[in-house]
Amino acid sequence: MHAQSPEFFCPLDFSRAMKTSGNESPGRLISRMLAGSWRRSDLPSFDINESELDKVVPLLYGSGAAALGWWRVRNTELRTTGGAELLQQAYRLQVLQSGVHEEDIYKVVRLLNEASIESVLIKGWAAAGLYPERGLRAYGDIDLFIRPEQHMLAVELLSNDAGDCWVDLHENISELDDRPQESLFARSTTQPLRGEEVRVLCAEDHFALLAVHLLKHGAWRPLWLCDIGAALESLPADFDWDRCLGSNHTRAGWIKAAIKLAHKFLDARVDRVPAGALNYPLPAWLEHNVLRQWERPFASEQPPMSHPVPMSLALRNPSRLWEALRGRWPDPVLATVSMNGEFNRIPRLPYQLGNCLARSFRFLFHSP
Amino acid sequence: MKQNALGQTPLARIEGLVIQELPDEVLVYDRQRDKAHCLNQTAALVWKYCDGKTTVTSIAKRLERELKTGVDEKIVWYALDQLNKDHLLVEDFAPPALLAGMSRRQMVRVLGVAAVVAVPLVTSIVAPTPAQAATCLPTGAACTSSAQCCSGLCTASVCA
Repeated sequence: MHAQSPEFFCPLDFSRAMKTSGNESPGRLISRMLAGSWRRSDLPSFDINESELDKVVPLLYGSGAAALGWWRVRNTELRTTGGAELLQQAYRLQVLQSGVHEEDIYKVVRLLNEASIESVLIKGWAAAGLYPERGLRAYGDIDLFIRPEQHMLAVELLSNDAGDCWVDLHENISELDDRPQESLFARSTTQPLRGEEVRVLCAEDHFALLAVHLLKHGAWRPLWLCDIGAALESLPADFDWDRCLGSNHTRAGWIKAAIKLAHKFLDARVDRVPAGALNYPLPAWLEHNVLRQWERPFASEQPPMSHPVPMSLALRNPSRLWEALRGRWPDPVLATVSMNGEFNRIPRLPYQLGNCLARSFRFLFHSP
Repeated sequence: MKQNALGQTPLARIEGLVIQELPDEVLVYDRQRDKAHCLNQTAALVWKYCDGKTTVTSIAKRLERELKTGVDEKIVWYALDQLNKDHLLVEDFAPPALLAGMSRRQMVRVLGVAAVVAVPLVTSIVAPTPAQAATCLPTGAACTSSAQCCSGLCTASVCA
C-alpha cells in the first residue's frame, strides 16, 4: 500500500492513452470523464463510449483519479466493461489506502497533540473530506503545518515514534504567504478522527491553498482541479470570499483562474461565486496548456520527478546537457506562478526565462 | 478453536487489519501480509458472525435470518474455508472432509444451481497500485535531485 508510480510496473498501456487515435484529445476526454465526479448524486450525463473509456483509464490510473473514474462509471452501462473493472479495483484499493492513512494520521496527530505541538493538516486528508467518500480522493503523504519554533521538536518526536508514517512537515505554507501565517492557525478549525481532533485550515484558506497549489504545479494533475470543483460545491454558508481571495491582486487572480478552469473543464457549479471572480478573463493559452498537461498526467513526467539525471552530472557530460536543459524548460503555468506573474494574454516567455534564471541561480549558489 | 468440525466456533481476526465496509462488500487490508481482500456480502456476514462463541450451525441460522432465505450450512463452511486461507480467522480452521479444497465451481454444483444465497467469495484485490497525489518523495525513496524529496535533501540517490 505504499506510494508507487504505476508507470514502472503496471500492465496498463500508458502509451496507448497518450496517442490521440480518436477525434478528441486525451485532455478533453479526461475533462468529460471527470466532470462533476466529486458529487454524491446529480452527476452530469455520461457520454463516454467503451473505446474512449479504454483510452482514458490509464490516464486516470496514472494521475490518481481512477477512483473518481469509477464513481462516474459505476451507475452506467459501461460498469461491467474491462476498463470499468480496473477503475473499480483502483477504487477498492484507494478505500483501503484511505483507511491505512487514517490510522497513520491518527497516530501522528495524537503524538503531536500529546506533546502540545499544534499542527494543521493540509491537502491530502483535508481535501479528501470534500468528497462523498474520503477513499475517492487519492493522497500519499501527511502534510502538516507546524510553527517554526516547534518544527525541530516535531521532527524529533515523529522520527522516534512515527518513523513508519510518511509525514511532510512544513514551517510555512508557501501557497498562502500573502497572509500572516499565524492567522492560518488562528482561523483553523478541527475535524474529528477516531476521537482525536485534527486541525485543518478554515474553508477560505483551504480553498486558496488548493487553487494556488494546483497552479504552482502547472495544473498537471486533473485530481487537483476536481478538488476545486468539490470545494466550490461544498462551501459553508458563511464562506467569506474576501478572506479567500486575500489582499494580493495577483494571488486573487490565480484563485479566480482556478475557479474558471474547474467550471470550464469539470462542470463545477459556480452559483455561489461572486460575479467579480466569474468575470476573470481566462487566457486561451492557459486552457490549452492545462489540457495539454492532462495528456501526460503522470508524476514521472512532471518536474521535479521528470529529471532523471541531476544537473551536476549533465554539466559534466555535454552530450546530455542539451537534453537536460530541454527537460527542465518550465511549463508556462508553473513559470508564471513561480515568478509571481498574472495570467493574462502576454506571452509566457519572460516568465519561463525568469524561472530558468532563478533556478540556475539557486543551483549555482546553493548546490552542496 | 476446536478441531472437531461440527463443534468449531471460529473467531474473526481483527489485529493488523484495516477494514472498510462498502454497501455491497467489505474490503480488508492485511497490514502484516500487505494483501487486500474483497468479501462479498455472504462472506462478509459469515466473517462478522465469527465471534469465537457461535458454532457453524448457528452462523448458518443467523445468515438465514439476515438474508431472509434458507441457507445451507455448506455455504458457511465454504466461506470459512476461504477466510481461513486468507488468514482472516484467528486460528487454523478445519473444514469437513466433504468440502476441503473445493473450488467455487464444485461448490455451486454441490449446493445446486438453485442456491438462493450468493456463493461466498473472498477475492484478492489484484490491480496496479493507483497513483497517489503526492508531490514529493518520502524518506528512503530513490531520487536524483533534492527537489524531488519531501525532506528537500537527496543524498547518495536516496531521499534523507
